[in-house]
Amino acid sequence: MIQHESFSARVRDHFDWPLFISAMLIAVLGIVNLYGATSVYSGARAELYIKQIQFLAVGGVLGGVLLAVDYRHLERLGYVLYAFGVFNLSLVFALAKGFTRGSQRWIEIFGFKYQPSEFMKIYLVIALAKYLHDDPRNEGRTLRDLFIPAVLTFVPALLVLRQPDLGTASILVLIFLSIALMTRIHWKSLAAFVLTVVPSTYVVYDYVLLGYQKARITTFLNPEADVKGLGFHAYNSRVAIGDGGLFGAGFMKGTQNQFGFLPDQFSDFPFPVFAEDWGFAGSVLLICLYGFLTVWSIHVASQAKDRFGAVLAIGGASILFWHAVINIGMTAGVLPVVGVTLPLFSYGGSSMLTVLIALSLVMNVSMRRYGGVPAPDRL
Amino acid sequence: MSLAGWSGGVHLVGDRGRSDTSEFRGRFRWIGLGMTLIFLALVVRLFELQVLETEDNRAAARENVVRRVTLATTRGIIRDRSGKVLAAGRPAYNIYVVPERLDMKDVWPKLVEYVGVGPDEAMRFEQRLLALRADEGPRKKQQILFKEDISRDAVATLATHEAELPGVEVVPVPVRAYPYEEVGAHALGYMAEVDVDKLASLRNAGYMEGDRIGVTGVERAWESYLRGTRGWEKVVVDARGRRRTGREDIIEEPRRSDPLPGRDLRLTLDADVQKAIDKAFRGEAAGGVVMLDVRTGRIIGMYSKPAYDPNALSGGSGKQVIRDAFRRLYSDPLKPALDKTVSGAYPPGSTFKPFTALAALEKGLIDPRSVIQCKGAKTYGRRTFRCTHVHGGVDLHKGIAESCNVYFYSLAADYGVSMDLIADMGLRYGFGGRTGLGINAEVAGRMPTRAWMTLRNHGHFEQGSALNASIGQGATTVTVLQLTLAYAALANGGTLYQPQIVRAVETSNGTVVQEFNPRVRRQVDVSAESLKIVQRALEAGVHQEGGTSLTAYNNSGLRQLGVDMAGKTGTAQVSHHLVRGAEAERGWYFNREHAWWAGWAPARSPEVAVAALVEHGGFGGKHAAPIAFQAAKAYFNLVRGQREGTRGAQPAAGRGRRGGRP
Repeated sequence: MIQHESFSARVRDHFDWPLFISAMLIAVLGIVNLYGATSVYSGARAELYIKQIQFLAVGGVLGGVLLAVDYRHLERLGYVLYAFGVFNLSLVFALAKGFTRGSQRWIEIFGFKYQPSEFMKIYLVIALAKYLHDDPRNEGRTLRDLFIPAVLTFVPALLVLRQPDLGTASILVLIFLSIALMTRIHWKSLAAFVLTVVPSTYVVYDYVLLGYQKARITTFLNPEADVKGLGFHAYNSRVAIGDGGLFGAGFMKGTQNQFGFLPDQFSDFPFPVFAEDWGFAGSVLLICLYGFLTVWSIHVASQAKDRFGAVLAIGGASILFWHAVINIGMTAGVLPVVGVTLPLFSYGGSSMLTVLIALSLVMNVSMRRYGGVPAPDRL
Repeated sequence: MSLAGWSGGVHLVGDRGRSDTSEFRGRFRWIGLGMTLIFLALVVRLFELQVLETEDNRAAARENVVRRVTLATTRGIIRDRSGKVLAAGRPAYNIYVVPERLDMKDVWPKLVEYVGVGPDEAMRFEQRLLALRADEGPRKKQQILFKEDISRDAVATLATHEAELPGVEVVPVPVRAYPYEEVGAHALGYMAEVDVDKLASLRNAGYMEGDRIGVTGVERAWESYLRGTRGWEKVVVDARGRRRTGREDIIEEPRRSDPLPGRDLRLTLDADVQKAIDKAFRGEAAGGVVMLDVRTGRIIGMYSKPAYDPNALSGGSGKQVIRDAFRRLYSDPLKPALDKTVSGAYPPGSTFKPFTALAALEKGLIDPRSVIQCKGAKTYGRRTFRCTHVHGGVDLHKGIAESCNVYFYSLAADYGVSMDLIADMGLRYGFGGRTGLGINAEVAGRMPTRAWMTLRNHGHFEQGSALNASIGQGATTVTVLQLTLAYAALANGGTLYQPQIVRAVETSNGTVVQEFNPRVRRQVDVSAESLKIVQRALEAGVHQEGGTSLTAYNNSGLRQLGVDMAGKTGTAQVSHHLVRGAEAERGWYFNREHAWWAGWAPARSPEVAVAALVEHGGFGGKHAAPIAFQAAKAYFNLVRGQREGTRGAQPAAGRGRRGGRP
């Protein structure tokens, strides 16, 4: 017997509280941290946390509304959304007026700055989910079988790279790789892949990457060489993290941020602020929250009742995972400094909405893992 | 199967027809594990940074914000013997503007008005500002110097209108000030920015770029005492270098080291005597005077002309003023940079005669009563040596008092007073060697011996040299300071003192740290009888009819003061030379004789010895003696005045003087 249950009943029965609570915890920590981080400014920047709360609210409402729509509806829209995303990315070149750090990433609509590359991550996940859903296999795949998903990935990735935004381009590729790892690729194919990627990385580094992008990578390899220049961020964020020690300097007590040594603390470098204020204890707590959210999303994927849902959840998990890892990794000096935000911590509307939509998708999958059947404990 | 009611008519593909997740099975665990491991790797890295390397990172974080700022010290004040300030620091105020921030329409005219800049200068600076503002580069954002050392009034006006003047900053800088300006400039010296070359070796002593250091005079010789030691304080600054308060808790001890102010110096010089010498020197172009206490060797007056204004050289009024001052200093043919009391050696002329006389007396080569006939000249070999006029019968007393050259020629020619005997006596009185005063580059002068003359003349000794040497001409040269010390030794019975210009080192609140006692260089071994004869002759030169200094003495007003003097005039011929360069315009001047006077006062109970040199001044009795007498007069006026003033209050305030003389 199939029960038709209402959305409210589904919310009651299947709402993913662990995911919601851990995400909320991160968001609250993020806003508190943003408040402390921007307290060094006066004027508009000191009030970024208020806008961030607004973004969180808008994103929460949007996520909630999306929750009401069965994720399977997205399946039909998959390529349409993808095309919309790619179109928006192309628009950046045509319309972009905003210049942030020498690159064009924004489109301005009704006074809002909108960053298509952020949303592209979601569209890509949906498109990949749809492709894999429509191409069900159980036997091993060769690289050729992943050719179309790869094309789906590299078209927006290259557009983003030309903005230029190395960080987001890498995230797109990493999302694709994470999802591709879910499929049963032949080991031989994997080996062939590695053999192609390594030389091509060199070619990309040599011919495609721009001067400042190369400089960032060089800086990453040897940050002390250039403390006052590009290495300033890398060096000082590492120092800030280390200065936190075991338990931190206390809220708004970290000197690296308070005295202006973390200039991008509200956007790309909120983690050093947090790590300096709360120390190793706080940092581990935060990583545990991200870790839990990631692992939980993978668990949701494993429980999904179809491939589309599983890939959506894996995609959501990898958006979260790669952002957190790359951002914390770059501030801790183990990865080059690229403009990748820390989910729910970095200030920014597009970033906040993207993360919340991704989480909402995961929850959507989570809530509908039992299909029309009520949760087992309610049977 | 369709979904719940809210989705209404939307038809979705039935669950059974949907592709399952079997391909992914088993991968979830691996990918979850992989991601967890990567997170763990991050935790490990954070453990490394936050737990293992805390100390290093904390130190780096502290280094970012804790800055050691140096605390300026104050240079010691130089005072004269009665406490008048000769050199001290004063704040000067410089105006800086930021071209980009300066409003050319409203603020600029106001600034010009408040500071009181002339229209030409204002126009020139305006052009520069406009050029900078039009420039694309970052230079327009940097402060540039508008005017240095503005007046106190301008500082006050600017302070009142500070709010109306964005982009304008008044910066105080300490500047060395010399209230007596040119008077005694050589002895005091001046300050200059320390050379880049010298900085390398001075850095260990705590000097930094832009520091000023004493270049000449007392300022240089006593630099290490005057300078003081910088202090430091740790302060919290932000990334832009701005000072921040409220987080001093992060600063480690020790947080501060107080600056040590430089030591003050109490000189032996007397500012009023210096001023009197300067006044007396009006009308003469160049020369030098030294006055010292014959009982201690302490220098009361030390004066060199032409001088310079150490205020201009020491900065404060700006780099342009310094440059101009230096250009004048080194282009003037009268050589104002040279301290004529110690750095220039001159033939002493007749002022040297007492020492020739002593050489003759000590060897018993002459009976002081023997009379030599002066017919206005003496022929020796093929040469004729001239006298000033026909003196007739001259004994030693008259020979010194009336300065008869022929008498001394005869000593050298006929009585066996050889070149070496003269040189020996000169050396005993300290000629031919540095006095060791220690300020400014001292020259030794020259006491030529027979050997030296022979060497100079390529193996040939001219007998006539001894005749020249007997009257302080020829190769003999002395410095003003040497001559003063030698006359002091004539006056005090033969004690040759080490000259002294710094009497004591004091702390800034006046406590004496170190006092310098007089130091005797040597006791000149000359018999009291010989000395007495010479002393009487020198007294006669001032007081007796026919004495070369009598006219000057009568005009000096010293008689009215009741001060007798003893001393000798000198008119030293300058070897004629071709004048060229800057000297050419005044060739007549540079070929004129040097005028000298050296002696002491009071004649019978000497207190001070004084020697005056007027370069190319002409006759010593006419040009040098009045200056020396005015210096003496100033000294005795001062001493008398002080004695009147302090009588009763300080009955024992004898300043070490022998009592008795009113």
